[in-house]
Amino acid sequence: MTKLAELSARSLAKAIRDKKVSSVEATQTAIAELKACHELTNCIITLEADEALAAAKAADSAVAAGTAKGALAGVPLAHKDMFDRRGKVSSWGARIRSEQPAAEDATAIARFKAAGALQIAALHLTEFAFGPTGHNYVLGHARNPWDPTRITGGSSAGTGCAVAYGAIAAGMGSDTGGSLRLPAAACGIASIKPTWGRVSRAGAMPLAAALDTIGVLARHVEDLALTLGFLAGPDGRDPAASSLPVPDYVAHLGDPVKGLRVGVDEAVVRDAHPDVQRMLEEVLAILGKLGLQRSSCRFPDWQTLDQLVQLVQMPDAAAAHDAHMRTRAQDFGPQVRARLEVGHFIPAVDHMTALRARGTYLQRTLDDTFKGLDIAILPILADPLPTIAELDVAGGPQLQAAMGRVVKYTRPVNYLGLPTLALPVPRHGGLPNGVQLIGRPYAEAQLFAIGQAYQREVPPDIARPIA
Amino acid sequence: MAPPAQSPAGSPTPDVAAYLDMTPERRAAAKAHVAVLSNTAGRVALELPLSADVDDFRRVLVAEAKQP
Repeated sequence: MTKLAELSARSLAKAIRDKKVSSVEATQTAIAELKACHELTNCIITLEADEALAAAKAADSAVAAGTAKGALAGVPLAHKDMFDRRGKVSSWGARIRSEQPAAEDATAIARFKAAGALQIAALHLTEFAFGPTGHNYVLGHARNPWDPTRITGGSSAGTGCAVAYGAIAAGMGSDTGGSLRLPAAACGIASIKPTWGRVSRAGAMPLAAALDTIGVLARHVEDLALTLGFLAGPDGRDPAASSLPVPDYVAHLGDPVKGLRVGVDEAVVRDAHPDVQRMLEEVLAILGKLGLQRSSCRFPDWQTLDQLVQLVQMPDAAAAHDAHMRTRAQDFGPQVRARLEVGHFIPAVDHMTALRARGTYLQRTLDDTFKGLDIAILPILADPLPTIAELDVAGGPQLQAAMGRVVKYTRPVNYLGLPTLALPVPRHGGLPNGVQLIGRPYAEAQLFAIGQAYQREVPPDIARPIA
Repeated sequence: MAPPAQSPAGSPTPDVAAYLDMTPERRAAAKAHVAVLSNTAGRVALELPLSADVDDFRRVLVAEAKQP
């Protein structure tokens, strides 16, 4: 492990700007760390070392000439392999993929490039981003860097591993039912799932467009604030991308959090494993130490939300993959195939009912659940970190129950579209887990301020196997 | 595989998603899962006003953002 691995992307960018470290040195270190991480976790789909080193040399030249541009100039990063990149074919974590290289970059990729960041690899994901555990029956399962027998969470599994290991400081993923929060929790890092529509989805592989949310995983909350600052904003290529002003999230990192009110729905939390409930209480005690005030809240019926989100997600995903399910079903892995099949059985009327009811349930959540509250808190995983073997259910009869348990606390939040910050719980030398802070629409700045204060009490970790 | 259901007129009615190559067990499991979801959709539909619209969700998100 190197000192470079411990830096935030923001700090590394400053070190490169100040010529304390070169982009080439940072990139060489990142590539070496990523290779080591891959041996342990299967996190890489495509390593792009030569391309990245050439870009790093160009970045160093720009720094030397005083022409370097962007908040992350010369910083090596890597992202989930589901974004269009000009001239390349993204794998989508699947055997079925585009037959043509992308004509242009996904908007999110273009915005990282404009910020000066380099991409050193395309990272592992669950097949078609449709799975919450990191199992991939086509490309091989991802393994947790803290304990390779355990799940990484998914679908943004490779980003979770690489960030936790310290190979990269941050990377992009997506979240349709928990795919940013679950790897964050399982790998012991942070993530931001922004408000639905805050970040353009243009050029990102669709899973269920009504729910898909592009976001970032990082060890340091300040990197989530920095990256969302340039990712967010309108985009002519995605009509759902909000034109609301984007705050300077970094400037708000030091906002006071004392007196903010955090709500706990004890009835929902009660279904979590006792160890997970204890972790949540420990985090609440830390938030209390920071001055946040705890109170009770009540979400709309959680099971109803979970069923409504499935009624949105499953036909949406099934439609996206309809052509291949009719012509190349054998090329899907068994789990994704079985999950996509279900979507074909959902009546159109039920799908529309779930979509029509979404505004009502969101309004009810804001009026009732969040009445007198600033944020709500929930676990992410309902159980201590499961093993890969325990959840190796493929497309078998245990599929719905097993996956339903994994996404129990994440999937319903996608129905509500609310911004959610995942934070790791104190490990005490054991395995990681996480909690999610759920904010009001577009209240990401407030979530970051709380997360920044929290990380003064619970500093970021670097993942290595626990003996 | 089970024989196709018969319509009232006597002509065969294709099963839902008959175009998918599924084992009878997986087909039955999918139908059972969807039946639970449909039950919820039916209950929720009874609560919804006729004016409920798919765009309500985005309207609520934006309206909330504009509040101080």
